[in-house]
Amino acid sequence: MIEVNELTKVFRKPIRGNGLSGMVKTLFSRQYEELRAVDGISFSVPDGEIVGYIGANGAGKSTTIKMMCGILTPSSGSVLIDGAEPYRKRRQVAQRIGVVFGQKTQLWWDIPLIESFKVLKEIYQVSDGDYAERMAFLGEVLDITRFLSQPVRTLSLGERMRADLAASMLHNPRILFLDEPTIGMDVLVKEKIRLAIHALNKTYGTTVVLTTHDMTDIEDLCSRIILLEKGTILYDGPLNRLKNRFGNLKTLTLTVPADVRAETASALSPELAVSREDGRLILRFDADRLPLEQVIQYAFRDLRAMDMKIAEISVGDVVKTILAQQEAADSRADAARNNGGKNDAEKV
Amino acid sequence: MLKKYKPFLRAGAIDTMAYRFNILIWAGITVCEVACLVFLWLAVYRSGAGGMDAQIHGFSYREMISYVVLTTIFNFVTFNNDTLWNINTDIKKGTIGNYLIKPISYRGKFSATCLGSLLTMTVMFGLPFYTAALVTLGSLGFLPELSFPAFFAHLGLFLLAGLCAALLNDAISYIFGVLCFYTSSGWGLNSLKVTLISFLSGTLLPLAFFPAGLRELVSWMPFAGMSQNPILILMMKYDLAASLRCVALSAVWIVVLELLAKLLFSHAVRKVTVQGG
Repeated sequence: MIEVNELTKVFRKPIRGNGLSGMVKTLFSRQYEELRAVDGISFSVPDGEIVGYIGANGAGKSTTIKMMCGILTPSSGSVLIDGAEPYRKRRQVAQRIGVVFGQKTQLWWDIPLIESFKVLKEIYQVSDGDYAERMAFLGEVLDITRFLSQPVRTLSLGERMRADLAASMLHNPRILFLDEPTIGMDVLVKEKIRLAIHALNKTYGTTVVLTTHDMTDIEDLCSRIILLEKGTILYDGPLNRLKNRFGNLKTLTLTVPADVRAETASALSPELAVSREDGRLILRFDADRLPLEQVIQYAFRDLRAMDMKIAEISVGDVVKTILAQQEAADSRADAARNNGGKNDAEKV
Repeated sequence: MLKKYKPFLRAGAIDTMAYRFNILIWAGITVCEVACLVFLWLAVYRSGAGGMDAQIHGFSYREMISYVVLTTIFNFVTFNNDTLWNINTDIKKGTIGNYLIKPISYRGKFSATCLGSLLTMTVMFGLPFYTAALVTLGSLGFLPELSFPAFFAHLGLFLLAGLCAALLNDAISYIFGVLCFYTSSGWGLNSLKVTLISFLSGTLLPLAFFPAGLRELVSWMPFAGMSQNPILILMMKYDLAASLRCVALSAVWIVVLELLAKLLFSHAVRKVTVQGG
């Protein structure tokens, strides 16, 4: 069980001057700029759930993960992992969680992989029986047995990531934090990693919090999404509801005779948006308001369609739309502020 | 609970030998240093008012040369310590996160590594070097007449004092390492640490050469226990009671410094900012 309450992290960055004179100045006086990386977010994750924690680069995802696993101390607010604050009860919480940072390995670079596992076995006090069982499970789902005797530095990126995942699962953590576990992986490795996360969640009931930029990861794994932007939560709820946020949007791509024009094609209903791209006709509409079969009939009968492709809106499209709307709203707000002649950049 | 740290003890013991060539070069340099110091002190005594029989601050030239030789070996064997640099690297590269998410204490990891490395250095270098030095100095008549039970008592206390010295050095390195959280750079802190220790521990000069006030002050600080005292115990310049007092003082300082380190770390760790992501 993870409980996050009004969590905030503010980083203070010194403002450095440019050039030599600027450098000398910063040596004696310092101005600081405050960056609110995470700004008062609250949510909770029940046991056994797989949550997708998504957002643009710099939205505050990794900062939240680092506070949840006890690396960073929040500026205000709190995180509770099974009732304990990770940055206060660091060792107690560490025993219950597993963490993978996609960009950094936690394995010992120079020693054979199996030795790293043995070290972790001792650090986490895993019993011989559990160790054997876990290694058999992980060897199978992550396919790591083949390269166990190789030093970590000789592994390929995909092998290393699987090894890192296995290392984080060795002590059977109740909660697994995965920060971009599929970054830079090919499709096959991504597939393997997803299957492993599924298997772990099924077999041991492990709670998983996953950040990723790959929407396929999200659609395959997560029942729930938390969308973060500029340190605040824009959406928190089931995946389906996010998908249908802008209605049940469908896109029909038609191959039609050259004399069918976009203007005439939109005659069916004002709900239907039509455009012509590369000689094809694109119809966009909300299937909840304009039934799909009606549009299909119309396409074949009136527009004399020869071929047709139906696509529904992807999570990626929805996220893109939400982020774009947010950005537009922000820049409007900024413009309004600037017109008022105020500059709110926080300086201390 | 301590079993968790076994891998780090082992790693400390093995890694010390991983850079064998490095250690051999270092050993070579150390031998040259000792030779210089021996000739320097011979020159000092020869040109002094009392000649070769003089006692300078309670040291005859025989004792002074024994002191210089043994201190150098002692520093070589005991202070093989990368704690400060490892913390500095962990902070700079952000690898500190890897340890903060594990159910071990960051301090404990370094203590275990330090003990592992001390073990290897003592067996691989301490044993042959001390034996060679003691036999040579003894046969030249530079050391007092050995009476065996007393010598073994001193040897035992010396080993204990050596262990204390290694732990003190590691604690101080750790404290300076944790200060890197605030400065983000280890160079200045390392120079400060090295200078402080080599001056105040009696490595450069026995504390007997210091002015009385300073000597009194320094004798209560942890540094004398890191070089001068263990050697004077081995040379039997201290009687058993004085030797025990030295070891006890070091033990108290270890506790004090570890507490200080704990306080400092719990403050510093809140300042951790792992870059990127």
